[in-house]
Amino acid sequence: MPRSLWRGSLSFGLVNVPVALVSAVRDLDVHFHQLHADTHARLEVRRVCKKGDHEAPYEEIGYGYELEKGKEVVLTQEELDAAQPEKTRTIDITEFVDVDQIDPVLYDHPYFLIPDDTGEGPARAYRLLVEVMEKQGRAALGSFVLRTKEHLVAILVRDGLLQATTMAFPDEVRPADELDVPGKDAKPKPKELQNAVALIEELSRDFEPERYKDRHRERLLEIIERKRKGQTIESPAEPETPEAVPDLLEALERSLAEVRGR
Amino acid sequence: MPRSIWNGAIAFGAVTVPVKVFGALEDRAIHFHEVHLADGGGIAHQLVDPTTGKEVPRDKVVKGYEVSSGKWVVVSNDEIKAADQPRRKAVEVEDFVPGDQIDPTYYDKAYNLAPQDGAERGYALLAAALQKTGRVAVGRVVLRTKEQVVAIRPAGDDHLLRMHTMHASDEIVSGGDLDVPTPRKNPAKREVDMAGKLVEGLATDFDPGRYQDTYRERVLGVIKRKAKGEEIEVTERERPEPSDDLLAALQASLDAVGGDGKPKRKTRKKR
Repeated sequence: MPRSLWRGSLSFGLVNVPVALVSAVRDLDVHFHQLHADTHARLEVRRVCKKGDHEAPYEEIGYGYELEKGKEVVLTQEELDAAQPEKTRTIDITEFVDVDQIDPVLYDHPYFLIPDDTGEGPARAYRLLVEVMEKQGRAALGSFVLRTKEHLVAILVRDGLLQATTMAFPDEVRPADELDVPGKDAKPKPKELQNAVALIEELSRDFEPERYKDRHRERLLEIIERKRKGQTIESPAEPETPEAVPDLLEALERSLAEVRGR
Repeated sequence: MPRSIWNGAIAFGAVTVPVKVFGALEDRAIHFHEVHLADGGGIAHQLVDPTTGKEVPRDKVVKGYEVSSGKWVVVSNDEIKAADQPRRKAVEVEDFVPGDQIDPTYYDKAYNLAPQDGAERGYALLAAALQKTGRVAVGRVVLRTKEQVVAIRPAGDDHLLRMHTMHASDEIVSGGDLDVPTPRKNPAKREVDMAGKLVEGLATDFDPGRYQDTYRERVLGVIKRKAKGEEIEVTERERPEPSDDLLAALQASLDAVGGDGKPKRKTRKKR
């Protein structure tokens, strides 16, 4: 069972369900540790106070904010929580929306909300929310505070459980107009669009996530195994930098001919 | 114009569209730095050898992978880079899939894409063709030293292409992996009906302009009060009592929801 990152209450109207937040994705990346080059002793990160050079345990660390140059204000976790106490312990469902209306760019991290109480009442209230939300097919929206930051969350049913995905606030999305992106006037030529659509159709298939294995993980483990056996790992060659194709239509036609000739 | 974090091409068939990659989000939360509460000193993160208790200089630090207990294989950054050896700096598109088949749970980080000079037409063409077909391009790209699976999709009416890195399918936790208490008695039909009504009462359109981080302002308020020397009242982090009488809680919630679909209890509180 994964560790819970937050424990609180999910509130829906006047119904309160005690819940714990656990990550809905696991990190399977190959992780390295930092070692001493000579002794291979595994190193530790220590928080050291710059005043007097002594170790400062995690519990003794507060939040510093420079309000103006040279004027620093320090808050404890409790004082920070006092900014909006109810949001540090409750996800209040304020509305339900059509999930297709939410731009996925907003999604940050998916978590499962699981009942954090063995009582019959909370377990049934949780089950009720799952049943109703599954039937309605809408996403519940709410927000809560995790450590130092408020998160918008979208709650949906996945695998019979409530999944809460943290979201960025819409004003945190970088606008398209700060980039040089061709606008409406850059309309592709009909023949090009027709060929591009045909090529996409030829290369289309259903989304099967199992097809896209993490090859990096396997290859990195292979490198480690080769290194363990004392083999030399050669530095890779620099990858080429592709140019834009000079003739879009020709490249599309060539691609189509190749795909159809397979 | 912000700085790009990576330059390369989108490659599908014989077509290459060179693009620049930018972060799609900007964290606007208030950021703090760590301070030692006892004396107000700033905090430095030091790499320490626990066998000697001494700080280790950066040039004496290597990366190691523990192949068996206490046995380390040391690898350099160049060796890590040798794991993925792309032929070219490109997102190699493998498939096009219907956008609505991808559960956003798979999406990790989001990026905005802009065409490099000379690639504007190819970029606009790909955006238009994806928009028209409702497809998303799925491919692989090596960013820094790691090959990632990515999805490229058009972002609504902005004529913008966005790229999401994706989690591998074995990284997605399934509900069955979790131990969740089940009630002895399932919710009664009456409870389901009432909860359904409550959901309908709170149904609305998703309007991005409505969701604002109110916490930022409040935190700044606390900081300013503390700067003036005011005492910050600390409340206990208790959570609300769980609802034992589900039916009564539902009935009370329904009573509190007005005909306009907005919960009345909130406005009542303010008055």
